[in-house]
Amino acid sequence: MSRLIRSRWQRWINRRIPRSDVQLLTQRKLFILPTAAGVVFGVLLLIMLLTAINYQNSLIYLVTFLLGAVFVGAMHQTHRNLSGLELTLVQAGEGFAGDDILFRLRAAAGKDDAIAITLSDEDTQVRLGHVPSGQSADVALPVVSAFRGYLRPDSIRIETRFPFGLLKAWSWMRPVSAGVVFPRPIAAPDVISAVDDGDQTASARSPEGNDHAELRPWRDGDMSQRVMWKRFARSGQMVVADWEADRGSPHWLDFNAFSGTDHELRLSYLSWLVIERGKSGARFGLNLPGQVIEPDSGQAHATRCLRALAVWGQEKPRDMQGAPHGTRSNTDSGKKATAGAKI
Amino acid sequence: MSFWSRSTPEPEKQSDSLPSRALLWLMASFALLLSPQIDRLPVWLILVCVALASWRWLAQQGRVRLPGRWLRTGIMLALIAVYLVRVQGSFTVDTAASFFVLTVGLKWLETRTARDFYVLFYILVYLATVNFLFHQEIHWALVNIGAIALLLIGLQVLNAPDLPGGIKAGWRRLASMLLKVLPVVVLLFVFFPRMEPLWSVPLVSGQARSGISDTMRPGDISNLAQSSARAFRVTFGGPMPAHRDRYWRGLILDTLDNGTWRQSGYEPFRRPGRVDVDGGIGELEPGQYDVLMEPTDQRWAFALENSVAVSDNVVKESGDLFRFRRPADSAVRYRLALDDSGEQVSEALAPGEARRYLQLPASGNPRARELAEQLRQSTDDMGVIRTLLNRFREQPYFYTLRPPRMPSDGIDSLLFDEMRGFCAHYAGATTFVLRSAGIPARVVVGYQGGESGAGNEYLVVRQYDAHAWVEAWVEGQGWIRIDPTAVISPSRIESGLREAVAEEGSFLENNWASAQRYGNVAAIRWASQQLDRINYQWQRWVVGYQGQSQLNLMSRLPGGFGMKELGYLTAGIVGAGLLIAGLISALQMRRGRSRDRHMRVLNGWYQLCGRAGVPVRSGETPAALASRLATAEPAVADSARLFARMVNSHYYSAASAAGSTRATDDELKRLRRLLSTMKRQLRRAGKPQPRISSSNAQSGKHSD
Repeated sequence: MSRLIRSRWQRWINRRIPRSDVQLLTQRKLFILPTAAGVVFGVLLLIMLLTAINYQNSLIYLVTFLLGAVFVGAMHQTHRNLSGLELTLVQAGEGFAGDDILFRLRAAAGKDDAIAITLSDEDTQVRLGHVPSGQSADVALPVVSAFRGYLRPDSIRIETRFPFGLLKAWSWMRPVSAGVVFPRPIAAPDVISAVDDGDQTASARSPEGNDHAELRPWRDGDMSQRVMWKRFARSGQMVVADWEADRGSPHWLDFNAFSGTDHELRLSYLSWLVIERGKSGARFGLNLPGQVIEPDSGQAHATRCLRALAVWGQEKPRDMQGAPHGTRSNTDSGKKATAGAKI
Repeated sequence: MSFWSRSTPEPEKQSDSLPSRALLWLMASFALLLSPQIDRLPVWLILVCVALASWRWLAQQGRVRLPGRWLRTGIMLALIAVYLVRVQGSFTVDTAASFFVLTVGLKWLETRTARDFYVLFYILVYLATVNFLFHQEIHWALVNIGAIALLLIGLQVLNAPDLPGGIKAGWRRLASMLLKVLPVVVLLFVFFPRMEPLWSVPLVSGQARSGISDTMRPGDISNLAQSSARAFRVTFGGPMPAHRDRYWRGLILDTLDNGTWRQSGYEPFRRPGRVDVDGGIGELEPGQYDVLMEPTDQRWAFALENSVAVSDNVVKESGDLFRFRRPADSAVRYRLALDDSGEQVSEALAPGEARRYLQLPASGNPRARELAEQLRQSTDDMGVIRTLLNRFREQPYFYTLRPPRMPSDGIDSLLFDEMRGFCAHYAGATTFVLRSAGIPARVVVGYQGGESGAGNEYLVVRQYDAHAWVEAWVEGQGWIRIDPTAVISPSRIESGLREAVAEEGSFLENNWASAQRYGNVAAIRWASQQLDRINYQWQRWVVGYQGQSQLNLMSRLPGGFGMKELGYLTAGIVGAGLLIAGLISALQMRRGRSRDRHMRVLNGWYQLCGRAGVPVRSGETPAALASRLATAEPAVADSARLFARMVNSHYYSAASAAGSTRATDDELKRLRRLLSTMKRQLRRAGKPQPRISSSNAQSGKHSD
């Protein structure tokens, strides 16, 4: 039941707040509710009213009304803090999986000052502070990434509780642009120990004396010419000689070089290799299924390769897609408050 | 985990999360809120509160640590133990208030997070509420509201530690907010229906207030004479009675016991009624008078002789005394009327009553008894009284605030040796002599006189007007008032204590700070009268604005307002207030969005385009839009292109950006004219205008 309500609510929100990299917070898009402190405050006002009635004390009536009116006035003020504010996603960040990816946002205050603004993603929170009327401030919001690929927070929440913390006004920004999360670098086995990788490599080297033909178990889609039938006759194992691996010149980082390992793991190896090569300034090219990057060197090249690794096999998130990309939706809920990374 | 041990660094980190300045405001507010309580709080508690708050403050500065859980619990238990020992099981409002304050003090030690801050905020707001129960004068009201304002500033600092513009901006924001909501608050205050109390709430203070008490030892009232605190204020519907006729009867003391006069028997216990502090019903008629009495924590009300109750919060009891239905724990207003018919047929006293009013101790004061015996034998009752008064008039008796000590057989030594005393001495002695002579007599305690407030609008009766006199039962005449003081010191009765003791110079001699002491200085007198008038109006119209006053005020409005109508009206006010606030904010939003006048014209154009079936695309330049419009509607092609060119020149040419306002005005005028031309052309083209939502057009961003 609650899930139904929640999904319906989410749909309503999504309709109300379409995905956009620029969000002007108008009345339609702002929400305001009392905080827990505000609810207790309401109860306190009720108790004060009871006291006033029972002791027939006019001054307590007066103070109760005064505080009640201040509460309403605070509603106005809290609302004004956000209304007219324009939130722009300046740059969706890049980074390695598992790290916090920084999304740079710009908040431009409208007619009124925006005071004590907080931006939050699902897990992280950034204090933006004060944006005077007519000015703007930049802030970097860390978004937790778990997997490589496109990272797009489903919604970024912008909230204020000023002046008294009894009410909170908030809205969401649902960015279109996605950040790119590179595969987490993992030291590639080749480089750690080129000596002995176990049975398969050893047997691949010994009989034919052939150069770098990588042997790996047969998979669906492998051409039958590649199957080492002799070996099959001998041992009953379908083994394929991976001839592409002989591109294994130092200039090329090859997706197929790590046969037998999981795709994501290969990407991580490659990511590590790209970083290593990038550091040493060597020339290298990247060979991915469906995408080849010619050898080059330099930081820009390395970044290009990393991006290619990040989005390999992934589709760019479409506009109206509801599902969050790459964000850890339910994995951990410990809110992590990050000290204001104001730029 | 003790104070100096290396506990986990966690508490310190958390305490950092509270901004120091916010904490400072909270403490300032606490100090302010304690000030009205200061006379009812024990000294040790105030010291403890100061110590705990300073500890918290030092911890905030990083000089000391906040106590760990064990130490904190220990401190709490220790203080509560001290508290219990001190109050010794007596449970009154004072002890409850002390406990409340103690809790706030202890809370300082665990104010670490924003949540604790809010808890303290709530407690302190309620402390302000409690303060209002005890003090309703205008200056205390200002202190309390000021303290609440400090709390609100503290909350602002808590929520925005880097508050832009500093504290001044915070105050300005708060002030403007208060000003904006003030009309609604006033309306609510006036119209919110003042219901009957929902249940009866005791509010009994254990602390004796200054005022007359139900026992009279010679000397009690002369202590009271050193106090210039207000006892009550009276407004008369008709002319004010002369000073000498203003005998405010409070209670009757009829038993002499070991030199002390007291009430015989106990007042019957009655459950305290509900609070009813308001006794106003319509205009004061001639002969009626309104008494606004300061709290006494007692049931007795003060009234002139021959009064009848008008308001229903006082009841008349035997002996022509008036009693409240519950102790007057806050300022009470009641209304009485003078009943001049004087038809109390004085029948004989009931035997029980006669015995009661003739009671005397078995022995003591032999000379007074002897005097009574002499008088008794020579004349009748009236004669006895007259002779006794003559004795006071003719022999050198003195009225003094510095009576000598008369430890044994006080009445004898007063009558025959010292001959110096205060009203209580003479009233007691007179009653003694009359009783000895077989005339039923009683001591009446109350106030006599009072001075008129500013503009003679009302009468102020102060504690130094406290007085004691005698009533005697004379066959055929009933109870008659006998005031020995009137014959010894006529000026006391004619013009008040100040005149009566002017020679002696003892008026308020221990009370140098009282404004009344300098009543001879015109400026001080004027200032204190004006202050008192303000306070009186405050008490009468703001503090005393309760059920009857409200209904009275409402009944003057057309349409006959009752409780129900008031309820509807209140709901209406709240609703209208919210609606107006919403409208204002909506209007402000709209105005803010289109302050740029060019932008407004441009938006008009976008809407026109939308209607013409050419919705604006995001990021489209005016020129591109114009050419699309031109293809869709050839009729407006020229105007549209011109319009687009003008818009471009406004936004992109440096000359016009720096141009004078006149040039801009002209430009705008032409733009508007063009826009209306286009509308006309469109209409003439006779195209059925498809309705396309204009929100689309607005979201199109002009790339400027």
